Amino acid sequence: MMDAGTPTGVAVEATAASDVALVRLAAAVESVLFVAGGPVPARRLAEVTGASPEDVERAVAVLHARLADSGLLVQAVAGGYQLGTRPEHADVVRRFLQTEHRERLSRGALEVLAIIAYRQPCTRGDIEQLRGARSDWHIDRLLERQLIRAVGRREALGRPVLFGTTDLFLRYFGLRDLRDLPPLGDRGVQALLDTLG
Amino acid sequence: MREVPEPAGVSEAQGDARPPEPDPDGGPFGRSTATPYTVKVPGFEGPLDLLLTLAHRGDVDLSAIPLADLARDLLERTKRRLDLPEATEALWMLAALVEMKAKLLLPKPPPAEPLPEPETADLPAQLEAQMAEYRAFREAAEALRALEEVQQRIFLRPPQDPGPADLPLVGLSLDELFRAFAAVLERARRNQAAEVVTEPIRVVDRMAAILQAVRRAPEGITFDELFPEQVTTVMIVVTFLALLELIRERKVRAEQDGPLAPIRVRAVAA
Repeated sequence: MMDAGTPTGVAVEATAASDVALVRLAAAVESVLFVAGGPVPARRLAEVTGASPEDVERAVAVLHARLADSGLLVQAVAGGYQLGTRPEHADVVRRFLQTEHRERLSRGALEVLAIIAYRQPCTRGDIEQLRGARSDWHIDRLLERQLIRAVGRREALGRPVLFGTTDLFLRYFGLRDLRDLPPLGDRGVQALLDTLG
Repeated sequence: MREVPEPAGVSEAQGDARPPEPDPDGGPFGRSTATPYTVKVPGFEGPLDLLLTLAHRGDVDLSAIPLADLARDLLERTKRRLDLPEATEALWMLAALVEMKAKLLLPKPPPAEPLPEPETADLPAQLEAQMAEYRAFREAAEALRALEEVQQRIFLRPPQDPGPADLPLVGLSLDELFRAFAAVLERARRNQAAEVVTEPIRVVDRMAAILQAVRRAPEGITFDELFPEQVTTVMIVVTFLALLELIRERKVRAEQDGPLAPIRVRAVAA
């Protein structure tokens, strides 16, 4: 997942580094991502730099390569790119910010969230049937943290509310989009865990 | 850790709902780092959420389990060490158990038309399929946990100049708000003899009253001023809930200049 920043289908060509214009564009993209502090869609980067979306993608790849031995990384998250600190320096950053470890989701909440993420849109009933356990508490907490939201109602008895994940969900887990979720089933998830070490 | 329960027969053996064996198919991720609330009462010993699950499925006989003991036990534990999210979750689970038990003890209306029975022949197969599906999601949850861990180690640049509306609790932690609440509650306990009124107090009414009071005072009002001098416990609890709700809706802010300074509540400019 560390390399989530490598845009798919963009080859970091040997010529790219020598392309002065592209290096300049990469620097401009870096400046924008620095002030944004959150994901910026490629379309928006193209708009403000005046470059084509393809060149922006190439510039991001250049930036990604250039940042490799810096303290920062560029990530593809929630339909955009963002600049963040490298996880290996998390302890130093935390010490500087004097922040505690951030509050993690509970095991039950993660289970409910996984079901919603893969099965969306789905109802409270769908979730509880799968887990065989009451899940209201977890659903309420996830709504509160804005990781899920009501996306509509099922046209069935009682018109139950349908839940789906939010943009914040993608950011929280560093996912580009929902297709970025590991394939459900042992192999997909195992593969992901292996890459993360 | 949720286990495949015995499909039937366990509930007769009341007072002997053994905590199930660890799931042999739990895989390398079966063990969780989270420490669930474990409880030990006559009839059950194990994590509280397991008890809730088993009770929900009818695999454990709630009428044989003294919930009052359980409540006392949880209360004792929070007195020793208060982990607010953990205690809240436990409280919710306990409430769900009480609700279930209450329903269990009430006389049941005559059963309605029985629903058509599903094909009982493939019931074990159905259960097995459902368990397999559940296990897949449990593994997916572990994968999300791993992603969460990585992402929590990545810091973004905070947005500049957050507006006042982004900081509903200025210089004030939830614990301090909680302590202030406990102090007012103590005041009510001293005046307990006067508590005879049974007027209904609603959160919405208290929310309206707080809003009115803070909007009249441009400098805000102190936390203590939220509560009348002769105050009942119900009034305090409802007022506190109303305050939290207003903070959540970003209609008011609670501020504290420093440790032990009075907490001030102000209206948030619309």
